[in-house]
Amino acid sequence: MYKYVLRRIYQLIIVFFLFLVTSYVLFDSIPGNAFQSLLLNPELPREAYDMVIQLYGLDKPLYERVILYIQNFFKGDFGYSYVHYPRTPIELIAERLPRTLMLFAMVNIVAFYTGFLIGKILAWRRGSKSETWITVTSVFSYTVFYPWFALMMLWFFGYKLDWLPIGKFLYPEKWYDSPYDSDIIFVSMIKFIAVASVLQMLAFVYTRNIESLSARRNVRFASFTTLIVGSLIYWNTGEMLNQKIYAMDIAYHMILPVFTVTVVAFAGTALLTRTTMMEVMKDDFILTARAKGISQKRIRDRHAARNALLPVVTSFIFTIVTIIDGSVLTETIFSWPGMGQLILDSVLREDIPVAMASFSFIGVFALIAHFIADISYAYLDPRIRIQSQG
Amino acid sequence: MKNQKDIAKDIRRKALKKNWSMFRQSKLGMIGLYIVLFFLFLSLLQPFLFITGIWNKGVYDPVVGYSEQFQEFLVVECPTEYPTDKYKSRSDCPGKLEVNVKTLFYSDAQVGETIVQNLQPAPPSSKHILGTDSLGRDVFSQVMEGSQVAFLLGLLSATLGVGISTLLGTIAAFFGGKVDAYLMRQSDLILMLPTLPLLFIISAFAELKVWHLAVVLGTIGGLGGSVITIKSQALQVKVKPFVDSARITGGSRMNILFSHVLPNVAPLALLFMVFSVTGAIASESVLSFLGLLNIDMSWGLMIYLAQVEGFIFSGMKFWWLILPAGLSVTFLAGGFYLVGRGLDEVFNPRLRKR
Amino acid sequence: MNILEVKNLDMNYETLEGNVSAVKNVSFSVKQGESFGIVGESGCGKTSVAMSLLQLQADNGKITNGEILFNGKDIVSLNETELRDIRWSGISIVFQGAMNSWNPVVKIGEQIREAIREHYPNKSKEDNTNKINELFEIVGLDSSISERYPHELSGGMKQRAVIALALSCDPKLIIADEPTTALDVVIQDQILKEIRKVQDILGLSLIYISHDIAVIAEMTDNMAVMYAGSIVEMGKTKNVFANPQHSYTKMLLESTPSIVGEKKKLRSLDGEPPSLIDNDNCCLFSYRCPNPTDNCKDRTVEMQLIKFDDEHYVDQCCKDCG
Repeated sequence: MYKYVLRRIYQLIIVFFLFLVTSYVLFDSIPGNAFQSLLLNPELPREAYDMVIQLYGLDKPLYERVILYIQNFFKGDFGYSYVHYPRTPIELIAERLPRTLMLFAMVNIVAFYTGFLIGKILAWRRGSKSETWITVTSVFSYTVFYPWFALMMLWFFGYKLDWLPIGKFLYPEKWYDSPYDSDIIFVSMIKFIAVASVLQMLAFVYTRNIESLSARRNVRFASFTTLIVGSLIYWNTGEMLNQKIYAMDIAYHMILPVFTVTVVAFAGTALLTRTTMMEVMKDDFILTARAKGISQKRIRDRHAARNALLPVVTSFIFTIVTIIDGSVLTETIFSWPGMGQLILDSVLREDIPVAMASFSFIGVFALIAHFIADISYAYLDPRIRIQSQG
Repeated sequence: MKNQKDIAKDIRRKALKKNWSMFRQSKLGMIGLYIVLFFLFLSLLQPFLFITGIWNKGVYDPVVGYSEQFQEFLVVECPTEYPTDKYKSRSDCPGKLEVNVKTLFYSDAQVGETIVQNLQPAPPSSKHILGTDSLGRDVFSQVMEGSQVAFLLGLLSATLGVGISTLLGTIAAFFGGKVDAYLMRQSDLILMLPTLPLLFIISAFAELKVWHLAVVLGTIGGLGGSVITIKSQALQVKVKPFVDSARITGGSRMNILFSHVLPNVAPLALLFMVFSVTGAIASESVLSFLGLLNIDMSWGLMIYLAQVEGFIFSGMKFWWLILPAGLSVTFLAGGFYLVGRGLDEVFNPRLRKR
Repeated sequence: MNILEVKNLDMNYETLEGNVSAVKNVSFSVKQGESFGIVGESGCGKTSVAMSLLQLQADNGKITNGEILFNGKDIVSLNETELRDIRWSGISIVFQGAMNSWNPVVKIGEQIREAIREHYPNKSKEDNTNKINELFEIVGLDSSISERYPHELSGGMKQRAVIALALSCDPKLIIADEPTTALDVVIQDQILKEIRKVQDILGLSLIYISHDIAVIAEMTDNMAVMYAGSIVEMGKTKNVFANPQHSYTKMLLESTPSIVGEKKKLRSLDGEPPSLIDNDNCCLFSYRCPNPTDNCKDRTVEMQLIKFDDEHYVDQCCKDCG
């Protein structure tokens, strides 16, 4: 077992290494470089351009540059952004990441929840008329042409109805004399949501031991309401009160993108849940549960859905991996400056340090996510848990 | 010997019939099939109309056709302040068949006169079912052309992708060891690369036409995560007793691979193929929408043009420029997905109703 | 006092190929405290009868005719909510393949608790724990099983746990559908003893379904032999074994080896079970009967149970062919 883990880690390092090399070579193969715009300036002598190229080492042959980059990478030196000099890629990523995280954390939570709920209900209503057309609608919202749909939403809610802002994540006028940077607000919002979710989950776990079902439901509801009240108090006192206005502004801007992406994203989970549930429903223990006299709703939720949860959660974790990839389109259309836009921008403008840093970030992110997926699978399925313990 | 072959053929035919009747049971599959057939009909309709001469190529060609739509307009003068009794707000002037005198650069017409102008893009009429775009090209013809592109691209990239991943997956399952490890790490690598940025990069250094895009999409898809899934399916087949008996009776590895393992992996591969078509159509549309492809006409391109020329935010005024393309992508991709779901029910008995 | 009376029960499954008549005009009754056996080959309808008692048959199965009186009350016409009341606390089932009766991600104890909670929602956690421990003691399991997951138990343990589960809500009637088919003979013997013991202690009625005629002989007071959806012979177990009337019953008995007496060649039945789709009412056994009469060949005789002797009924067509 130990040997297997070691071998896997060793392979992982090689893969990551190859990943870095592949990315660099790919970026390099794009014709031109980040500084070509300098050539357009008629007043700039040719030597200045050559000097700049030499300064950045772009005149060295490919293999030298790759080796140099990897050496620096493992030293922790990611260079400076070519385009946004003198900022480092780390700075840029740190600035953009919370924005993307905020948006897509909300989206994933809402989409996953809604998707699971709908998928559960769909599978249970197998064969009825409503099942067919709800499923078909879900499929179409899954395959809808995303840029077109996003633009339609922007137009409808932003322009026609004028209910929600068109793009961007804040109103600059409101932030004119704000003592805070947007990053700080983002970070505190993320922290708040993370803490609230963890608390709610803990409440769920600790109430598992209550015997009477109605009592259990009441306690959980009470914990939920306390959380809401607590949040309200939190945001209206002291330090947070000042931050509240800005946080509200950001939240207001988040509504449309979150809604749009959720509409497209929930269907994937819903359809997967539906398929998995349909398979589970044929199992014998469902029959036993019916024989025990348990209500259909309870069978659906506590028996069937619980078993369908495993593959759905795994796929959820894998969708987290593709957050950044998926955010490229959304951020472009909604002008939400986050990681997606950063990647797109750096690729298009050949800002190699930033692009490499972003790609590496995604790579590491993917590897960690796979790892978390494995662990959570073991947790959710006691059969695997026992096996892995010995 | 001959009898055996006949019997085998007979069995296969019966199985096909049974599978077909099971597929017909699935409502989702049938809906999807109708949609796909509809678009197939559209893509075949266009060359048919051109060949039989019902449609004049000069007018109806989706890329270089041109149709003149002359329309009479009333010349008006828009007031500077609103509301007036004729116009409620700024957006109401000029009205539907009116033109503001201030925007007339090439005419001496006065207020109150009617002039004839070339109306592009033109709304739907009897000559052009879905109207024309800003260059005078028939939108319906564009939709049909886009349908052709979608089918070709989708099927080509899906077949390529599934071919690659099935081959690699079965090889990985069958030969195990170093080959397996290498193939798994390779697909890990592909999985780590973000798709959209990768496509951007490729489009930056290689000019992407339809065929090229199909090959690229197929290869990336084929080398990615699907290899892992096919491999696990092939592994399940490998441990089945009949494979062992095939080896004992002297079947070579290749023989076993092709006549035993592959047919059992085929249903899953078919499923993947159908779902890949959905992905391919979506990717193409997104890339066209961002202006990265060198395609003459496709649905994504139609939306791209509409956005670049500023018609998107005009709302329902120019609906024929916005809705047909978007809805087509949605429905065709969705149609293939539904067919895939229907096939799922045929191959996975646990999903059936009875 | 009849705890269960089944009168003229008909049940079919609607399939793509037609209507499968799985249960044809089945009538029997079970007294309080007695065990009733149903024996027959695979596919003869035994499980379908069991399922229809609690309306647990598959979605495409429909009861088209008949009454099922439990404690004097008809339960065919009940709606889902009322049925749920009866399920488990009135009648419970030990399923065929009880290995798979357990939800793999929930602990055994919790699954039993769930059943108790459904029917006795006001009991405290302690009461329930005590009850579960009692049940485990009856079936011979350790109380630590409560905290285990199903895959951690062996086949025999799971089977006993299923019996404990079936007893958890103090039912009046238990249906045991081939509970020992998948187990080895030693465990089978233990389980059968447990079931008998439980029955004696708690005074339960039992319907025991099996294709193993030896087990039926051991476990039951009365029995019925089923073939192709109908009952062909029914009566006190002792009587049926001592004096089988129907050809099928005779074949069944003769196909089981006996350890007493001289060595005999085992007889078996040629042919296959008939298709149950869209049949008329003739005797379906006539296709395989070793000595059919002319009536049987014409396929005109309807199936009908008539009294042969005291507490011994047999299908009318075989009264003649003997």
